[in-house]
Amino acid sequence: MNESRGLRKAIIPYIYVTPAFLLILLLIAYPIVTSIQLSFQDSTTSHFTIANYQYFLTNKIQLFNIGYTLFVSIATVLLSLILGFILALYIRFNQNKISKAVVALTVLPQFIPGLVAVYSFMMVVRNGGVLSRIALKFGIQYNPNMLYAAKGLISMNLWFNIPFATLLLLASLSSIKDASIESARDIGAKKMTLLKDIILPSTYKQIFIAGAFVFMSNVGAFTTPFLMGANNPQMLGVVLYREFNENMNYNQAAALSVILFLLCSLSAVVYIIVNMRKEKWR
Amino acid sequence: MKFIKKAAIFTAGLAIFASLAGCSNSTSNKKATSESSTKTVKQTNVTLWAGGSQNVKDGMTKIVSAFNASPEGKKYKLNLEFIMSGTSAASLQDRLVAAKKAGQKKTDYDLILASDAEYSGYTQLGGKDIFLKYDKSAIPNIKNDKATVGAGQGYLLPYRGTTVVLAYDSSKVKNPPKTAKQLYAWIKKHPGKFAYNTPDSGGAGSSFVQTALYNYLPKSALTSSDKKWEAKWDKGFNLLKSLDSYMYKSGGKVVYPNKNQGTMDLLTNGQVEMIPAWQDMTTIALQSGTLPKTIKMTQISPALTGNLDSLVIPSIGSNKKGAEAVMNFMLTKKAQNILVNTMAAIPVINEKEITSSNLKYLKNLSAKDFRFSSIGDLSNDMNQKWTSEIGNGVK
Repeated sequence: MNESRGLRKAIIPYIYVTPAFLLILLLIAYPIVTSIQLSFQDSTTSHFTIANYQYFLTNKIQLFNIGYTLFVSIATVLLSLILGFILALYIRFNQNKISKAVVALTVLPQFIPGLVAVYSFMMVVRNGGVLSRIALKFGIQYNPNMLYAAKGLISMNLWFNIPFATLLLLASLSSIKDASIESARDIGAKKMTLLKDIILPSTYKQIFIAGAFVFMSNVGAFTTPFLMGANNPQMLGVVLYREFNENMNYNQAAALSVILFLLCSLSAVVYIIVNMRKEKWR
Repeated sequence: MKFIKKAAIFTAGLAIFASLAGCSNSTSNKKATSESSTKTVKQTNVTLWAGGSQNVKDGMTKIVSAFNASPEGKKYKLNLEFIMSGTSAASLQDRLVAAKKAGQKKTDYDLILASDAEYSGYTQLGGKDIFLKYDKSAIPNIKNDKATVGAGQGYLLPYRGTTVVLAYDSSKVKNPPKTAKQLYAWIKKHPGKFAYNTPDSGGAGSSFVQTALYNYLPKSALTSSDKKWEAKWDKGFNLLKSLDSYMYKSGGKVVYPNKNQGTMDLLTNGQVEMIPAWQDMTTIALQSGTLPKTIKMTQISPALTGNLDSLVIPSIGSNKKGAEAVMNFMLTKKAQNILVNTMAAIPVINEKEITSSNLKYLKNLSAKDFRFSSIGDLSNDMNQKWTSEIGNGVK
């Protein structure tokens, strides 16, 4: 009797996990395995080949596309972390009507469908758009030149990602006790010291995690670069779409998927390392 | 141990239940169809599958209700299944090919809309037997159909035309070009005032590129998917390369926007003065006021290419007779007028039969000049070559 209860206890967790595990197996593991398999096949003969990878890693245009994707993603990560962190600091340490309004504004973009946001943004920043028209009212000919350029893409990404980063960082900032800050102040700590010795050590994990998430969601982005990006260089999401839907080159598309997957796993590695690390000061 | 037993019984029970549910489902389905066929005088269902933008949906919805109200509607009940483009849903082609490859038979893919340009894609992926030939004797109205398809003759029944035209801002362009040569000269004379979308993201840009390439080739090339023509594209591509630096620029860099709407937005905002655009899309935009009233359309000679949208019967459908009745209806005066009204389509029957006010937009374009292309798989190669030689930067 006792033995069967022990067995039962051992099995129950697996039963809980099984549905999710099966779903992951079906929807994530299986496609990954098939794409890896497909990526090493020749499109006509189905024989083993590494030509699909060779194409992306030697073709000048494709290398440029990979570099461009990394540039846009990393710029988005850095800027959204810096701006998000400042915003989170402001919200955490100021409790007034303005800061409450800022919180509401920060949450707002999560409720706007992405496509609507992209089109609205395009209407505002395009040459001859809202900004240009306002400038024209004051007799100034002004074209933002934001569309079809990296700066437009990065700005749009920031619109999506600053709120996300802010909310994540805010969560970890609110775990800092007011008492610790006050007592540090009492013994004469300056603002920079507070930031360096109390705030950063207790939030750096979240900063890395937020960065990892922002990076992952931007490396494979499609909608924004498709609508706002230039003809060249292109973000990998758009290149992948073309390989798959227009060139119908499934093997090359699979190879590019694997490359994208590897890029994304870079940030997964960061995520895992940061999570595993034990904090010395605790 | 007990638990394992319980679990085993539970899963077995679940399996039995599922299979029972499956059975009962299929029996009830059969019942429903047999019931409806006994009640009315053998009315059978015909399902028309269509895909595209909102205007296609509006037009087809009206066609469906007009058909069901017609005498033929007593024998066949027409239903519409619509797949809105750009909703990331699987395309009609993917669905049909998948159903065929899965060995499905007697599906409700009774009739679909496909253009002659899409025909080769279907047959390449799904095999030649993916479609059935229509029976001419079942479609008496076919004698009024003026259009002839470039591919899939005997399978595709053309029912409306669409073409790409030049849309221009008449407040800025006083004398629009009349020939292709004049157009290219105009582009060079007005740097930054012309834009066409990337050919793989929309038909307007694709037509512009195709026209540039095929103006150098014999007429028959335009309806051929023979690879030999690819070797003769160079002249056209050189022309496009020479035009590259005169295209619309943003921040000093030449831009070919994505999608037909991309260039239309530039025209709306006054960033450019002339673009290649779909005649139906432009008409609808003018009607609804999203394009300024000063925008006008004109056709050049030789014309920018267009498509013939057609009806075709998939071999895995289950109501060929009904499908042919719908085909016949689509060529009636009534149906053609609906198409011109709702979709600004180019009618395939004699224009005298058309009473729609939209005809005034079509008249300016001298319908006899319409040039239909069907180069099949070559269009993929064309897009790829364009991307590598022009889209990725002209060297």
